[in-house]
Amino acid sequence: MRFVHFIELLLIAGILIAIGIPLFVKLPKTRPFATINPTKEEYNHLLVRKEEVLLSIRELEIDFKTDKISGEDYENLRRKMEGEAMETLERIDQLERESKKGRKSVTKNFTLA
Amino acid sequence: MNDIGEFTLMVALATSLYGTVAYVMAARGNRMDLYRSAGKAPVITWACVMVSSIALWNALFTNDFSLQYVWAYSNIELDYFYKFSSFWGGQKGSLLFWALILTSYMTAVYFQGRPKNLLLVSYAMAVMLAITTFFLFLLNFSTNPFERIPLPPLDGRGLNPMLQNYWMVIHPPTLYLGYIGFTVPFAFAMAALITKNLDDAWIRLTRKWTLIAWFFLCMGNLFGASWAYVELGWGGYWAWDPVENASFMPLIVATAYLHSVMIQEKKDMMKVWNMSLILLTFVMTIFGTFITRSGLIQSVHTFDEATLGYYFLAFLLFIIVLCVVLIIKRLPLLKSKNELDSFLSREASFLLNNLVLLGIGFATFWGTIFPIISEAVRGVKITVGPPFYNQVNVPIGLILLALIGIGPVIAWRRATWSNLKKNFMKPVITASVGAAALFPIVPLSNRSEIYTYIAFILCIFVMSTIIMEFFKGTRARRELHQETAVSALGTLVWRNKRRYGGYIVHVGVVMIFAGIAASQSYGTHVEKHVKIGETIEIGDYMLRYEKLVPIQATSVKTRVVAQLAVEKNGRRIWTARPEKEFYKGQDQPVSEVDVRSTLVSDLYVILADFREDESATLKVYLNPMVSWLWMGGWVIALGTVVCAWPDRLEQRRRLERLKRQQAVFAPAQE
Repeated sequence: MRFVHFIELLLIAGILIAIGIPLFVKLPKTRPFATINPTKEEYNHLLVRKEEVLLSIRELEIDFKTDKISGEDYENLRRKMEGEAMETLERIDQLERESKKGRKSVTKNFTLA
Repeated sequence: MNDIGEFTLMVALATSLYGTVAYVMAARGNRMDLYRSAGKAPVITWACVMVSSIALWNALFTNDFSLQYVWAYSNIELDYFYKFSSFWGGQKGSLLFWALILTSYMTAVYFQGRPKNLLLVSYAMAVMLAITTFFLFLLNFSTNPFERIPLPPLDGRGLNPMLQNYWMVIHPPTLYLGYIGFTVPFAFAMAALITKNLDDAWIRLTRKWTLIAWFFLCMGNLFGASWAYVELGWGGYWAWDPVENASFMPLIVATAYLHSVMIQEKKDMMKVWNMSLILLTFVMTIFGTFITRSGLIQSVHTFDEATLGYYFLAFLLFIIVLCVVLIIKRLPLLKSKNELDSFLSREASFLLNNLVLLGIGFATFWGTIFPIISEAVRGVKITVGPPFYNQVNVPIGLILLALIGIGPVIAWRRATWSNLKKNFMKPVITASVGAAALFPIVPLSNRSEIYTYIAFILCIFVMSTIIMEFFKGTRARRELHQETAVSALGTLVWRNKRRYGGYIVHVGVVMIFAGIAASQSYGTHVEKHVKIGETIEIGDYMLRYEKLVPIQATSVKTRVVAQLAVEKNGRRIWTARPEKEFYKGQDQPVSEVDVRSTLVSDLYVILADFREDESATLKVYLNPMVSWLWMGGWVIALGTVVCAWPDRLEQRRRLERLKRQQAVFAPAQE
């Protein structure tokens, strides 16, 4: 056997072992991806939206301080964005409450069982 | 080593194919074993492609002419510097280089995304592995760089002399890093479409990657222009060559995306538009590759053995169909929940900027493909040259320049006419003063000069709006925090990296606009046949032809150098040494120009021809403000670094978000 072929053989064996080990060893029975939970997706989205709205309020303040918008527009937009932020926060709170409630009922059922 | 290189290329193909299938199966079946196993594929594929690349470099450095590729693009006398760059000098090597960069990006994304354990990342990896599989398939079965010659010759044919320039060592890797870099946002966009995870998670995951790819593509274009300027010897840097256009188009579309994606992040709208733009950017990069490797178009940039047209065309069509189908299927999920607050807002100006950029992109695309369409339909090849592009793109470019100035002055969400008037007052007055000052100085005898005059006025306008932005921001911080001006400016930029980094990039773009405008309109040139002692006059310069010196540089290269004393106001300020290089086995000599570059203008000297009596034909160009282009490039680089610099506050916000998610829904998912 040529030395090159020996190296090639070693390489294939190494790759097969690296790729194959996870397929044949016993792994903990966890799932790599959590099942898509629309509530969780919405919650994640809202957390990002909350940050974006708060950042937008900061930018609005900069725009106002640098004279890009009038006082009246600043007040109107600020009110609108704060309203948007409040709505987002309320929805986040609601989802958190629902999630906690859901968990409690699961724990309760588990204890009863 | 060649055997190993060829073998690892095949193993890389098998591994990437396995990785693609395993990732998809792991995601669909939610199987940990397959997920873990697939996770090995990106690294193994990268390692195999790296071994193949080292094998090819080794063959180039050791003059192994048993490889057809080494024989075709190298020879014994070739400098090691260029032996290194011969790797991407021909089609086969450049495809391997493509695969190397692609797998490197993929591995980096793998390590970045692994801790997040996301479904989105898994599908993105599958998409990247699928694209890698396509390139590795070509490398293995159609254009193998390890193809042998049964009877190896003693020496190689050598690298094309035009490619023996230091810019060719820098330009292709930079351009490739840009081209290939867009695979990452493309893969995540596809993953978002497949998994229906269409909020802005994929945008946040790829924000930095997109910026990095955009930066490299931008610099790659500029480096290419630099190479054309010093190596092609025609006095210019951009000729609207189809291949130049092919790298310009993705840059334009990506620039539109970088602007419009901000609206999605801020207002949760324009999802379809952003998705389409990033997919189009990737499609444009593949289109560019198709142009270079199909043999359809003749250019200094196309490869000699351009035979991969059908493969790339099929790949291109497949991607387009897939993107269109996926977008149509996901349209209900991509609908915006918000709308524009006002048409007089920064969002609206960004939209307009997008339309203008796409206008430039479309005009360039049409000019590029029109000769192909005309030949296919009528059998006549019509050349679309610089006049078409200048006629269409220059006015649109001026609108774009104006928008660069207008954007920062308009507020997000809603601006009012009274505030606009107030904010535009100073920049407009500055631009008007500039216009009045320039009017008696600059010539205005034709359309090109009028456009340049307008461009200069707009450059002054844009610069003043940007300076005002920095000034007002600094003043506001000083008033609020009682800081010194320098500290307030530093903190302002540091706390708002994206905003002010973007403004710095705009400064670079303005410099490039100014450089292009001046050099395209006010350049002059003289061509003269001179004997020793005779002079050439151009602008304020006088060039005295002193001597012609032949130099045997190496056994395969002879240089013939003309020496000229350059005088200004009677004082010798520089010695120009343009030359012609003759390579053994090459029919055409190569001109090596000599350039004296200042902020005002470039004195650009070409030795066009010479005779036995030592008389020579010299071309001398006086190109105003070309150095502004290259300086603009470095300013863009600085701005991009500021934009891409890790933001501690953003990282802290992300961590807080993750903690909160963990508290509410365990385990945490981004």
